[in-house]
Amino acid sequence: MKALKLFLLPYLSIIVAAAFLWPKPAQGFIGESSRIVFFHVPCAWTSTLAFLFAAAYSLAYLRRRNPWHDEIAAAAVKLGLFFGILTLVTGSLFASIMWGTWWNWDPRESSYLLLVFLYAAYLFLRAAIPDPERRARIAAVYALFAVVLMPFLVFVAPRVTASLHPQTVINPQGKILMDTPTRAVFFGALAGFSGLFLWLLSLEARTARLKRRARDGRDGVRSAGGATRT
Amino acid sequence: MSATSATSTAARIWAVCAKDATEELRNRVATLAVLFFAATALALTSYAIGPFGLAPEDRPPLQAALFWIILFFAAATGLPRAFVREEETGTALALRKTLPGALVLAGKALYNFGLFLAIAAVVIPGFLLLLDWRVAAPVTLAAVVVSGGFGLSVVSTFLSALTARAGQRNVLFVLVAFPLVLPLLLTAISGTLAATRGGASDAWTPLRVLIAYDGVASCAAYLLAEAAWED
Repeated sequence: MKALKLFLLPYLSIIVAAAFLWPKPAQGFIGESSRIVFFHVPCAWTSTLAFLFAAAYSLAYLRRRNPWHDEIAAAAVKLGLFFGILTLVTGSLFASIMWGTWWNWDPRESSYLLLVFLYAAYLFLRAAIPDPERRARIAAVYALFAVVLMPFLVFVAPRVTASLHPQTVINPQGKILMDTPTRAVFFGALAGFSGLFLWLLSLEARTARLKRRARDGRDGVRSAGGATRT
Repeated sequence: MSATSATSTAARIWAVCAKDATEELRNRVATLAVLFFAATALALTSYAIGPFGLAPEDRPPLQAALFWIILFFAAATGLPRAFVREEETGTALALRKTLPGALVLAGKALYNFGLFLAIAAVVIPGFLLLLDWRVAAPVTLAAVVVSGGFGLSVVSTFLSALTARAGQRNVLFVLVAFPLVLPLLLTAISGTLAATRGGASDAWTPLRVLIAYDGVASCAAYLLAEAAWED
């Protein structure tokens, strides 16, 4: 992971610089506002990727009951929420420039807000269950149930009602409507944000594992002390 | 699955549903409270906007939204009790030892679906009478209510199993349930609006989404029931 960190620093610097300097602003957008696509969409993609990771590790937890899988799932949800909030902030910035309002309950932005609520509820659920094993099991079940219903929130509900949101990358034509520089920076940003997520996830997972070991160590010392006294 | 085992499975699901119904009939307070909540919310809405408080062109979308808001919140007071009741009365362990989690979940979801239909049976006539609700396609509305209610019952029952032993479970249930059922509610509102305006073909898209949601939620709940309900 150290190699990934060393690679990400120059790589993301180049992507950020390229996002502002290389592609021309897209037509039909006010000023330079279209450049937000290089940050907004990768944040949304990374957030979704994080929730998929959480589901995969939740499934692994239910199969093997290894607390490490639960820790990774919880860390992925926290990072997914972080990138989800960044998605909302960048979307709101775009809305303020294009539509003159920070928030207008557009179906697509509302559905993303609800996605953030959906996974915030995961953290509330964890916080409400004191027993670690039960917490891990219930959280894993919830994460899997949520990921199965997530497409209705992200893909179906916004398409049932009309939206002001610009055409998405996954569009009815099945084509990526971007010129070559835009496409290069866009996919470069997607890869860079995904790498950033993997690096942050490894840090979060290591921290959680160290906390568990410290807690287990404390419990061990406490029970050994209790055994000596008795 | 052979015909005998299918019959046996159906009988066991029905037994769980009948047990819950019998318990509720013995102590009618919970069910009556839910129905009373629905009637109160309806009366409040009717008092606030009345049959003529809205411009005719504004009525259909607002009435469709209010209809599902009342149904959802009335259901949210009653549906989460499915597993909480077992924990409170200390019968959860016996039920766990007797039946597989998936069958318990199916029986309780069936009971909750019945409770939802009872709530709808109170709210729909109330809406028609008190809010001058005009429904151009009643059959389509019935299909939207049944498919929306089924999904709501399955998801609520499943989440009840998850939150039954958590702290602050009543608040937690609403926090957890709302984002999960919102796509269903938005689609049901869209379908109800189409039914009130008479466009049975316009309601077909929301109906298909509702049926898909019901199918996906039921399959996911069935597959995860054992893990959700184990001790």
